[in-house]
Amino acid sequence: MRVGDFKASYAHDEALFDTPTQRAWFGVLIVAALAFPLLGGNYLTYLACLLGIHLIAATGLNIITGYTGLISLGHAAFMGVGCYVAAWLANKGVPFWLTLPAAGLVTALVGVVVGIPSLRIKGLYLAVATLAAQFVLGFVFREWESFTGGVRGANIPPADLFGLALNTDTRLYYLILGLVVAMLAAARNLFRTRVGRAFIAIRDRDISAEVLGISLFHYKLLAFAIGSFYAGVAGGLFGYFFRAVTPEVFGFAQSIFYLAAIIVGGLGSILGTVLGAVFMTMMPEILRTALTIVEQLGVSDAGVFLAPLRAVVFGLLIVGFLILEPHGLAEIWRRVRRFFHLWPFRT
Amino acid sequence: MVNGNRRRILKAGAAAGALGTLGLPLEAWSQAGDIVVGAAPPITGVFAFAGVGLNAGLADYCEWRNTKGGVAGRKLRYISEDSGYKVDQSVAIFKKIMANNKPPVFYGDSTGWAKAIAPEVSSLGTVMTCSPSFSSDLANPEKVPFYFMAGPTYEAMVAILLEYIQRNAKGSQKPTVAFVYSDTEFGRDPIAASKARAEKMGIPVVLEVITKPGAVDVSAEMIRMRRAKPDYVIFHGYVLAPIPEFLRQMREAGLKSVGMGTIWSMDRSTLDAMGAAGDGFTGIMPYRYSFDYVRTPAFTEMEAFGSRKPNNPWQTMFYTHGWLVGTLFSEIIDRTLKAKKELTGPNMKAALESIEKFDTGGIFGVPISMKNHSIPVGRVYKVDYTGRNVVADSDWITIAS
Repeated sequence: MRVGDFKASYAHDEALFDTPTQRAWFGVLIVAALAFPLLGGNYLTYLACLLGIHLIAATGLNIITGYTGLISLGHAAFMGVGCYVAAWLANKGVPFWLTLPAAGLVTALVGVVVGIPSLRIKGLYLAVATLAAQFVLGFVFREWESFTGGVRGANIPPADLFGLALNTDTRLYYLILGLVVAMLAAARNLFRTRVGRAFIAIRDRDISAEVLGISLFHYKLLAFAIGSFYAGVAGGLFGYFFRAVTPEVFGFAQSIFYLAAIIVGGLGSILGTVLGAVFMTMMPEILRTALTIVEQLGVSDAGVFLAPLRAVVFGLLIVGFLILEPHGLAEIWRRVRRFFHLWPFRT
Repeated sequence: MVNGNRRRILKAGAAAGALGTLGLPLEAWSQAGDIVVGAAPPITGVFAFAGVGLNAGLADYCEWRNTKGGVAGRKLRYISEDSGYKVDQSVAIFKKIMANNKPPVFYGDSTGWAKAIAPEVSSLGTVMTCSPSFSSDLANPEKVPFYFMAGPTYEAMVAILLEYIQRNAKGSQKPTVAFVYSDTEFGRDPIAASKARAEKMGIPVVLEVITKPGAVDVSAEMIRMRRAKPDYVIFHGYVLAPIPEFLRQMREAGLKSVGMGTIWSMDRSTLDAMGAAGDGFTGIMPYRYSFDYVRTPAFTEMEAFGSRKPNNPWQTMFYTHGWLVGTLFSEIIDRTLKAKKELTGPNMKAALESIEKFDTGGIFGVPISMKNHSIPVGRVYKVDYTGRNVVADSDWITIAS
């Protein structure tokens, strides 16, 4: 049983992983992630790539909404901006190592513009303002044919990183894995800096934060810029992953998907983002696999008659989690950890 | 006995669960030599109205074909999972079934799916694909070599309507046309080419209206319609709404315009849902209806086979489409195997392109030939609301170019 966490140095106090157990498990996780495509096969590698992209995008939304308290309903549109920028640049022959950061930076700029209303409004009003951005950007994706390819969309050539064509899921997986680790680490560290703490202060009480000397103008827009940068990078990766993009991909439903992911996982928590993205990405797959198993056990036409139930079960699971643990999956995870730490005593 | 059953089911469930978790193919246990037909039909989601029938038609065709000895002596094995009409999910299903079962043919769920998997399909070179998409972009053997569509492209559908309009023109003055389409990839697909074709044919396009898919309030658009007074209004990019509302308001405004639709608006259930407003509604159908006055072998088999199961949607055009896809998949495989070639993408592409004057058992009213991996054939049908019927109003029209 662990009874405490004694920190004897500043370095120890500032460490991301403060116990040897955590470090060991993280090492195991990294090794497992590196070996995953070799063991998991094409299908699971595809899902892992998709999960990675969702993770980066959801982290961006958690920075804006979970950590800074600025509700955004336009996150999918931000992703779309990143995707189209990457597609346009890639088709102009710009190398991949430039297109992805450019996608992030352009999206960050768009995010700042969309975030301007947050200086005057918040809560539901801001939600409506960002919702408007979602539809305005959707309109731009459909109508700006010379840039986006219009409703027919655009194709994206495979990424090429210093001569290595990233044209398979396995190759893209390692790129996405690296970016996920880097961007999650950056986000985790962000909230141990003055900037991150300013975001949290704004979320908790913006007037108090301003009294304390935090520039709301500066930090609110910065939150939008950083969150949108994440969305832009995720969008760029999405484009390189699917190699084809149409405006319908970045619709309102996708924005709700990310919002649901961070709420189910836990607002204002990187771990929550991870768990929420995993839940939202994998649960439909798990439910479909369950349905296939039911069918293969001999229940004739189960796929047809039970398929609509998947959406119901998925919805009930989300509602169930929210009722049982409003702080999200991250809190459930913490409780489970606490149980093992304190075992045989109860929390 | 009850306990025994329960244990058996639990054991089977545990084993299946373990395999499922590991991503291993449950079907790997079944006999080798079967030809797998993979599919990701949209049984749920916004396209479910069609997806259930598409799935049933393809599944039943495989089952029916097996009762006739299969394809080149090998059984067909249909493996499908519901895509929910979401691209990421249909791509996931494609990858899963390709990894586990290596099907030589795969049926997807949408244009988005076909475009998303096209690079992988090209690099794999092992699978021929099809989907409910009739997107003109996909009828391109050079860019999308291993994809075909079981019918005409949307451009060809509108071309058939324009041909019908020209054939029915009376007097020296050409009839006028309006295009009403949804602001989606589906809606916009044929418009530019169709406007060019109409101009070439000397048919004036007097109005172009873009709406949201499923729009309800069309009053503003109707003001423009009343001014333009088109003879024909071609709707595309919708299933039902806003077509009935347009038709109702057109009648109320005293317009004599004929409303016209394309394939996804032409199922009997959709036409029935238009009610009295749909009287005289005309549209292009690539296939015969199951209730067509001519009984053909394919529909006799569909009825005999499909009607054995309760709630089987064998009367719908979606089912017919699924059955036709099964027919074409089988023909491609059969031709490839009979030529003593392996079931690779290039070999199946050659087999597909060799389809000339092929009899689909009467699903199409004429023998079909593949053109740019599509079948540019269709017939115009008209709704007779009083007689509660949908009747053929033209011969079978083939678009040459």
